[in-house]
Amino acid sequence: MKRNWGVTAAVSVIVFIFLIPLTGAFYTSLRTDAAIASGPFVWEFDSNWTHYKNALGAAGYDFPSFFRNSIVISLGTVLLTVLVSFPASYAIVRLGFGGPWLLRLALALRITPAIFFVIPFYKLFTAYGLIDRPLGLILANSFINMTLALLVFAGAIKEMPLEIEEAAAVDGASIWMTLRKIVLPLLGPGLAAVGVLTFLFSWSDYLFAVVLTSSEATPVTVGAANFVTSYGVRWGDISAAVCLSILPPLVFATAAQKYLVKGLSSGAVKG
Amino acid sequence: MSTTFSRERKIAGWLLSAPLLILLAGLLIWPMYLGFKTSITHDILSEFETYPAGFENYKNLLVEPNFWSSIRFTLIFAAVASVIELTLGLGLALLFDRIFPGKRFLFSLMLIPIMIAPSLMAVMFRLILNENIGIVPGLLSKIGLSYSIFDQSNIFTSLIILDVIEFTAFTFLLSYSALQNMSSEIYEAAAIDGANKRQTLIRITLPILKPALAIVFLLRILDSIRTFDSIYILTGGGPGTSTQTVGIYIYKTAFIYGDFGLAAAAAIVLVLLLTPFMPFIIKQFNLGTESTK
Repeated sequence: MKRNWGVTAAVSVIVFIFLIPLTGAFYTSLRTDAAIASGPFVWEFDSNWTHYKNALGAAGYDFPSFFRNSIVISLGTVLLTVLVSFPASYAIVRLGFGGPWLLRLALALRITPAIFFVIPFYKLFTAYGLIDRPLGLILANSFINMTLALLVFAGAIKEMPLEIEEAAAVDGASIWMTLRKIVLPLLGPGLAAVGVLTFLFSWSDYLFAVVLTSSEATPVTVGAANFVTSYGVRWGDISAAVCLSILPPLVFATAAQKYLVKGLSSGAVKG
Repeated sequence: MSTTFSRERKIAGWLLSAPLLILLAGLLIWPMYLGFKTSITHDILSEFETYPAGFENYKNLLVEPNFWSSIRFTLIFAAVASVIELTLGLGLALLFDRIFPGKRFLFSLMLIPIMIAPSLMAVMFRLILNENIGIVPGLLSKIGLSYSIFDQSNIFTSLIILDVIEFTAFTFLLSYSALQNMSSEIYEAAAIDGANKRQTLIRITLPILKPALAIVFLLRILDSIRTFDSIYILTGGGPGTSTQTVGIYIYKTAFIYGDFGLAAAAAIVLVLLLTPFMPFIIKQFNLGTESTK
């Protein structure tokens, strides 16, 4: 077969353009403060990873706590979203619960802009002491991601052969046993897709975080944005903090790329 | 036998859905009630008392120029950005639909923007666009171009370019998966009939992809309508209110100016404006998911 190096070159250039922000931030995070201050093309690199050390606590920023919050909020959201939507989607698809209406509601909710929920959530969470607590953001993000999880799970369950479940029922297995021993193991790819998408979207949330947290539960997205306004001259430290903030979802989503592609393209709507 | 069986199924259905129903009651029905109640309340942060205001907030909103200009800006921005992103994403997907060295690696690299939070992307944009230290102004001045990115006259173009850099990966990914779902038999048949590449693309590939592309377009439009993070971090809605999306308008009205009543009314009006399109959108999704299978 003819080797299409021409296509490779063209695609490389295009991909590079799309990655300019990331490479720019990474480049800045490796340079010394003096080099950053004297212009973008002064090649002087810091061999000590100073900016990364600063971001991780050496300079006394709150960034380590933002980072912890993001991890707690994202993992908590994945867990709650799966626990709520997996059993419900089985009930909807296989037990006919709620007819077609629950899935249609999920789709309609998916279309509703998140900003619609911001003021009601703010009022509700203020009344119940959930402001500035990770649990509040876990609830808000789970609500937003639940619709996507329902749609992905429902699609995956619909594709599963009914015969296995019927055979299990004939053998006297209860619905609970079928769900645990048969459906759950078969649902691996759907579970991975929901997991990686929910993690990605809750890690990326800015709107709910900026409204529902003030300091204790602030995640990296809001932390990094505030960082720019409050330490506007410390570009090296900011770049390092941003690069670190991108890393967990990047590693996770690249490792699970197959499921990310499947989840995003299975008619699921991005949040 | 069959009645106890169906009863068991019914009970199981309720039990399995219980967590979902509780979540919907707590985070959908109750907040929607609160949102509506706020919208008919005189609720301003700086005034200690709140009192029922009837439809005063809605009346004020109807004559509030900033709200309507934010809706207009949002729609224009969404339409322009989505058209460009869909075109570029599809073009890139067609380019990737060949065999070339390093394809898998470049594919993974191309997906990276999807994995970056829009707010963090915006922080990186501020970094690379900074007048004193940014790479982009540095490069522009090196080649002798003077283009101030955040100027009133350039800001719309700048924000569109940034949105395109951020979200083309998404339209690319969805167009590419739609392309992969097409059967190779169709291409073989076209080749046998003597169709050239261009004819195959225009007469066969694009028509078959149309439903899937319509969904990608809808997704981008809907996503752009809720755009908040990137533009808010980059411009704060300014200069003036020239880049204020409806999301930024609602956020600022409530949390900067403290008028919760007006902001709640604006959120409700926004959803009411979207409602007539909902059945159409839902139908498109159903159509699209069936035809791409």
